[in-house]
Amino acid sequence: MEGASARGVLSHLSLLEVQARSRGSRVPQQPSRVKELKAKIEALTSQRDQLKAELQLHKKLQKLRAPVDKQQEDGEDEEMDLDSESSELFHLMARHSELMDLLHAHNLIGGYDAITTNRGKGMCFSLATEYEGVYLDTYNLELNLKPNVRISRHNIPPFIPLNSLAEQSDLQSDVRPFLATVSQHLNAFAGRRQQLKLVKEQHKSVEVMESNLLCSILVLMFTVPKEKTALLCTLEYNDHARCLPTRVHLNCEDELLPDSPKWKKNCSLLMEVPVHRALTAIKKASDIV
Amino acid sequence: MDNSAKHLLQRLVRRIPASMLKSTVDKWGRLTAEKRKALDFTQSKWTLTQELVALCEDSGLTVKHITELEMIYITENPNQGMWHTFQLVDPEDDAHSVELMQFKEQFKSHLRELKRNVSVKIKKHTDEAVWIRVAWGDDLSRPNHLKATYVVHYLQTPYVFVNALSSKHKPLLLQALTLSTRHQQIKAANLSGQKLTALRDLLMRQYRQVFPTKYPSPLVESDQSISKLRIEKVQAEASANRHRMAGETFGDGMLPALQSAVFKLETKFKDPTNEAMTQRDEPFICSVKFSSSNLLESLRHCASSGIASTPVTPLLSSIPLKGRNYFVITDNVPT
Repeated sequence: MEGASARGVLSHLSLLEVQARSRGSRVPQQPSRVKELKAKIEALTSQRDQLKAELQLHKKLQKLRAPVDKQQEDGEDEEMDLDSESSELFHLMARHSELMDLLHAHNLIGGYDAITTNRGKGMCFSLATEYEGVYLDTYNLELNLKPNVRISRHNIPPFIPLNSLAEQSDLQSDVRPFLATVSQHLNAFAGRRQQLKLVKEQHKSVEVMESNLLCSILVLMFTVPKEKTALLCTLEYNDHARCLPTRVHLNCEDELLPDSPKWKKNCSLLMEVPVHRALTAIKKASDIV
Repeated sequence: MDNSAKHLLQRLVRRIPASMLKSTVDKWGRLTAEKRKALDFTQSKWTLTQELVALCEDSGLTVKHITELEMIYITENPNQGMWHTFQLVDPEDDAHSVELMQFKEQFKSHLRELKRNVSVKIKKHTDEAVWIRVAWGDDLSRPNHLKATYVVHYLQTPYVFVNALSSKHKPLLLQALTLSTRHQQIKAANLSGQKLTALRDLLMRQYRQVFPTKYPSPLVESDQSISKLRIEKVQAEASANRHRMAGETFGDGMLPALQSAVFKLETKFKDPTNEAMTQRDEPFICSVKFSSSNLLESLRHCASSGIASTPVTPLLSSIPLKGRNYFVITDNVPT
């Protein structure tokens, strides 16, 4: 028994020895390794050439684009040695990349962003709203472009009269005025809503008697110090594209109070300054509690 | 307190679940604190009713006060009964500046012009909803408070939700609403259900809709068991597309709990193996109803799992897109 297994082990060992010797004497597999490395060099070279070509293309496009604020009028160092067809193509590509950058910049400064959807048959706009440097909600609006320009779906709340705004502008020729108006309405609404939120947070002594979803009307109850009389202040925001009221009027049991010069001044302050800041000023002047 | 008031109170206490009775009565505020303390809410409803009736009588409360209690209960628990939606169209120039006081006065006066003996109560809820309760009477009888109609409307939006409105009173109510909101017409919006909150959230877009963006969100992580890995790799892209399309159609996260959708078909029968039916000239009229505890989430799951083909058919995508759950399909034009 032992002999058999020993034979098995020994024969295996001698096999390994033969293999080791042959490996040692064989020429190292350089040709295949060399081939591998050569192929890699080729791939990297072609990649480098491709990148070089793209870089050249971009440089040419940059030159074709309208000079923004560079003062580089110091002569072209390369003549456009292209035939008319590809030159037109280059011009189009330059214009396209210019517009894409403009759109990106527009979005960065708080304007709307746009992408094409559905293989070019539609567009989706995302309209951001902000107030006093703080980003608020973002709304989306999808348009179908074929057969004619139509609003397809959106998440704009129903108290923004989207359909009537669409009817008022000519969607078929240019959507930009329509989008500008919608963005204006949305931003104004977001601003008015934010003002209401700040009034509730910062001025707990002021009671909000009435408001509505559109934030186009606000009725506040002030308490005048000393006599502790109640003063009802109604702010009407009839221009839904603005964050400031179009009309402010006061109601008080003491009929003389609203006509006092102090309160006339406060009324005009409320017309010119966002309500939460106006209230801070009025409180500071100790006109209200 | 007269008999009708007593009867109304008894019916109301029976209707309000025992768990909500104390908080509703507290919110009502018509009974003094000491009287409320005297009430033992652990008793049987029957005994409690008798006690409440006695206390209300003692406090000199009338039908008017009882209807307040009913309104508080319904406003806090609106998802009962059957709500139907109407849509106001053709706004006048000043429709967008209608404010609450004006609306209240106009509605009451218009309604009273159309029907003399009505009892109207209007209250604004904290979420800016205007709640209206109408008890209808006629020339011969006093308003019937047992079958009151409830209306919910958000000013400056075109939608009106109505509960328990009889066909006899429908034209009157709709006309009063149209005039007081400064519109020219009102039409059925084909959206109804038991859950007012679902109908409202759907129409007011109070749920997370998904729109195509420049920056697509990453694939959802799936569990990496080896056996599924190969299937997942092949199916990943298709699955991601289905999820995306389902999300874009129905929305993301929790969806308004719409509970049913009805498709009324008036189309020609199309089955080549059934000659008897296909030979008929008249369209085959049938009604298909989908029911679920949350229909939109069920449909979204159907689309994302592949049970319903994607892109989602307009028959189903119209539900969230148009905010309707009743459709009539004819051969010419599906509406």
